[in-house]
Amino acid sequence: MSRPIVVIGSDVDALVAAHYFARAGSRVVVLEQHEHDAGLAPGWTPPGIVHELGLGSDASGAFEIEQPDPWISVVLPDGGRLDLARDPARAADAIRRLSARDAARWPDFCDRMARLARVLAKLYTAPPPDLLSRDWRELARIAGLALDVRRLGRRRMEAFLRLAAMSVADLLDDWFESDALKGVLAAAGVIHLCQGPRSGGTAFRLLHHHVGNAPGVLRPLRSNVHTLLTKRPGIEVRRDSKVSRIGVRDGHIASVGLAGGEQIATDCVLSGADPRKTLLQWLDPGWLDPEFTRAARHVRARGVVARVELALERAPGFTTIAIAPSLDHLERAYDEAKYGRVSTEPYVEARAFTSESQHRVSAHVQYAPHTLANAHWGDSERIRLGDAVVGALNRAVPGFAALVAGRRILAPPDLEARYGYPEGQAYHAELTLDQALWMRPLPGWAAYRTPIAGLYLCGPGTHPGGGIAGAAGANAARIVLSDLRGKERE
Amino acid sequence: MAAFCDVIVIGGGHNGLVCAAYLARAGRRVLVLERRERIGGAAVTEEVFPGFRFSMFSYVVSLLRPEIVRDLELARHGLHILPLESTLTPLPNGDYLAQWNDHDQNHRELARHSLRDAEAYDEFGRLMHEMARAVKPFLGMPAPDPASLAPADLIGVAKLLRYFRSLGREKYHALWKLLTMSSADYLDEWFETEALKATKSASGIIGTMLGPRSPGTAYVLLHHYMGEIDGVFRAWGFAKGGNGSVSAAIAGAARAAGVAIRTGAPVARIEVANGRARKVVLESGEEIATKLIVSGADPRRTFLGLVGRDHLPREFVEEIERYRFRGASGKVNLALSEPPHFTCLPGVGPHLRGAISISPSVEYLERAYDEAKYGEFSRRPYLDIVIPSMIDPEMAPPGKHVMSIFAQYAPYRVNGGWTDARREAFGDAVIDTLCEYAPNLKSAILHRQVITPADIERIVGLSEGNIFQGELTLQQMFFLRPVPQWARYRTPLHGLYQCGSGTHPGGGVMGASGRLAALAILKDRAA
Repeated sequence: MSRPIVVIGSDVDALVAAHYFARAGSRVVVLEQHEHDAGLAPGWTPPGIVHELGLGSDASGAFEIEQPDPWISVVLPDGGRLDLARDPARAADAIRRLSARDAARWPDFCDRMARLARVLAKLYTAPPPDLLSRDWRELARIAGLALDVRRLGRRRMEAFLRLAAMSVADLLDDWFESDALKGVLAAAGVIHLCQGPRSGGTAFRLLHHHVGNAPGVLRPLRSNVHTLLTKRPGIEVRRDSKVSRIGVRDGHIASVGLAGGEQIATDCVLSGADPRKTLLQWLDPGWLDPEFTRAARHVRARGVVARVELALERAPGFTTIAIAPSLDHLERAYDEAKYGRVSTEPYVEARAFTSESQHRVSAHVQYAPHTLANAHWGDSERIRLGDAVVGALNRAVPGFAALVAGRRILAPPDLEARYGYPEGQAYHAELTLDQALWMRPLPGWAAYRTPIAGLYLCGPGTHPGGGIAGAAGANAARIVLSDLRGKERE
Repeated sequence: MAAFCDVIVIGGGHNGLVCAAYLARAGRRVLVLERRERIGGAAVTEEVFPGFRFSMFSYVVSLLRPEIVRDLELARHGLHILPLESTLTPLPNGDYLAQWNDHDQNHRELARHSLRDAEAYDEFGRLMHEMARAVKPFLGMPAPDPASLAPADLIGVAKLLRYFRSLGREKYHALWKLLTMSSADYLDEWFETEALKATKSASGIIGTMLGPRSPGTAYVLLHHYMGEIDGVFRAWGFAKGGNGSVSAAIAGAARAAGVAIRTGAPVARIEVANGRARKVVLESGEEIATKLIVSGADPRRTFLGLVGRDHLPREFVEEIERYRFRGASGKVNLALSEPPHFTCLPGVGPHLRGAISISPSVEYLERAYDEAKYGEFSRRPYLDIVIPSMIDPEMAPPGKHVMSIFAQYAPYRVNGGWTDARREAFGDAVIDTLCEYAPNLKSAILHRQVITPADIERIVGLSEGNIFQGELTLQQMFFLRPVPQWARYRTPLHGLYQCGSGTHPGGGVMGASGRLAALAILKDRAA
């Protein structure tokens, strides 16, 4: 029996890749050490992947994209709420109560963002363009992408290029005047990022998180793709398998070693784990060029998000609620994180679920830095964070605190232990312009390959990055398969 | 009275004068109109207090384009640059970090703080020099617009692409990082000494409402490596006689080429008829007809002030309104009875002949920025200090000194607005900060002048007191400066051009915008 392709990790990207390998006739072993949450996972999955893998067309169930309406409720300082409906016209009606000018601009804004996000969608469903390539096929592809961008028209193309480097605060100031609207939109620019809305390069992240979603819905969509991929047959998934090293012989992948001592012989490894762990921890550094090691060490992955999960006695009266009342609120929350403190008044986005007559709320809390100055994450820090979040939600939804029956606080170190996020950073590498496209995960190594023959990377740490589910896996799988075919021909 | 000439240049700042000089050398009859009684714009030397002469606003020279120095023979017209030899960063713990131009001295000093940093410094310097050389060609050419289908833009973009490809991967990636990273993050990859990182990253925030941890601030690090490689100047220098002598030298060259310069001639408006700029109306009521008008004023003043939005396309006006200024810095000019004595390095030494930077740590700078974000001036600001009289004794009476303190952050939109009381409070914050490192300063002050962004706007005419005529951030650079489609010195009006720092490449006493504007005009008019 031939040696299997080993896939490390079982998040959406890793599973997508594993199924592509299985579909191409390879034997696949998926090694997973961490837990995964059941239910909907955030991130757009390109329709091509759903189609090619036939997700939802078999017994495992239909492919479902969540379509919350309103997609978000914003708590206003006066106690009221701004409900942003999926339909831009209805959302504009709600915005009109805050500002007639903003309401008038909303449809245009939705249209502009949707068009620009479509350009990103195209960039995301393929490996990043390599502008320095000497390969005519790659150059032809770049020319095609350039044509797509040009098709936006001159003004929109200039707007796109201008937007790329802007701060999300500047972008929103150009469009709107309402603090509440700007606050909730700006949050999409800083999710999982150790920057505030006034930092340069945050505007394109608003687009990034909009990719694939309906016009006017400026958050990553959620789907059941992970559940479908898990149920799909054809691959061997080994749970509780902790990788301890990746073995190399003559510059080529030879084996994957597990913590229990088992060695799995293989010629091909695709790691969905974070790039630093894969390249610096699991590989013998002797195989890598010091310059490459240096670049890998410099991948920034500062976790700034905590998750607070609350069990409730009954439904809280909202589906998704955001506490991000203004740009200044977000910026001040970030200020504290800069100096290693948890935000006193964090940005909170809480989602309510009901399952089997149980009511739960899961809250994204930002900023909670992984590394605290003059403290470490102990019980008292977690309790304080939980109190702050319940307090904030109680101010937003009077009576909320009384509903809380139980709570669990996942600080960045907990997220690291539970899900393998480096420093608690869910995107494995912060998604900033200097770590995007051909710079992700490492400058010059953006096409999922590594200097070790047979070792590949996928996952949120690679192009296109966190918040997009499956594109990195599919892009990487295509590269791996084409390399394997090339080797067979030799 | 009606006069006539080929070209009127509005504003006698360094870019306006450079543009005028180039046009006159090509045979055009040029008249420069300056609002103030003296030429120079923000590059002026003024005797603010009797016997004490100050480079009132801009205070060092670094990026003045060598081709301009050559073409206009500025040395012959009196330009003399004295090198700045060091940067001293005093530290709160009584120590200091000094950076010297002399390689060995610099290495020894850095090694005192961190052996690793001393080793990394050379490698860093090598890469930055190479990057600076890679970027320099852009400062001498108009920025092509990748969204345009005009032949000049298409050729420009193709040339640019070929050029980038020729750089090779290492430099290409380094350039991308420099354009997109924060200066603090970029330097974190190289160094561990806080004061070194802070002092270097400070150059990335000068004049801009961004903190050292905000992406987009790394690029300006390169500017520090551009001057040196010409072999003409050191990275930073003083103009002998203050920065006004830079303007005087350019004006001298312009006059020699036949340019007429009128000071005390504020322009009230540019008169437009049928989409064409026809004449300039002065505040005195005097009208001057001309074939061509070149504005050295910033984009907001030019288009929303002098032209008026009624004469311009609506979308263009909206984009000009979006163009950001946000002045972030002020100045304090001091007349001193004796030189400052720094606790960390007592006495009068070579360190006083260089720059002194109050930037002990990245966090210090970032905290200074935090206050400005919410509309307060920094209680503990970043300071960049020079003492020109240490190098050029003619700037002050014998034995006395002048000190120029650039201070950031002082936001233009300070809460409650800039009043006399707030200006003095800002001045006090600057002096108090510096006194922590040089305690004799307070008693040595004979006179002090505090300049806020509001003052810069009022006196020099720079909108919101932005020293670059608009923020030098990525979204306002290259083909986006000041607005897309009008970044090649032309404007939507026939016969009106722009030549100030608000156009590519902008910023600093560089003169490149003025020269490129002149070349664009000559090209258009030759056809």
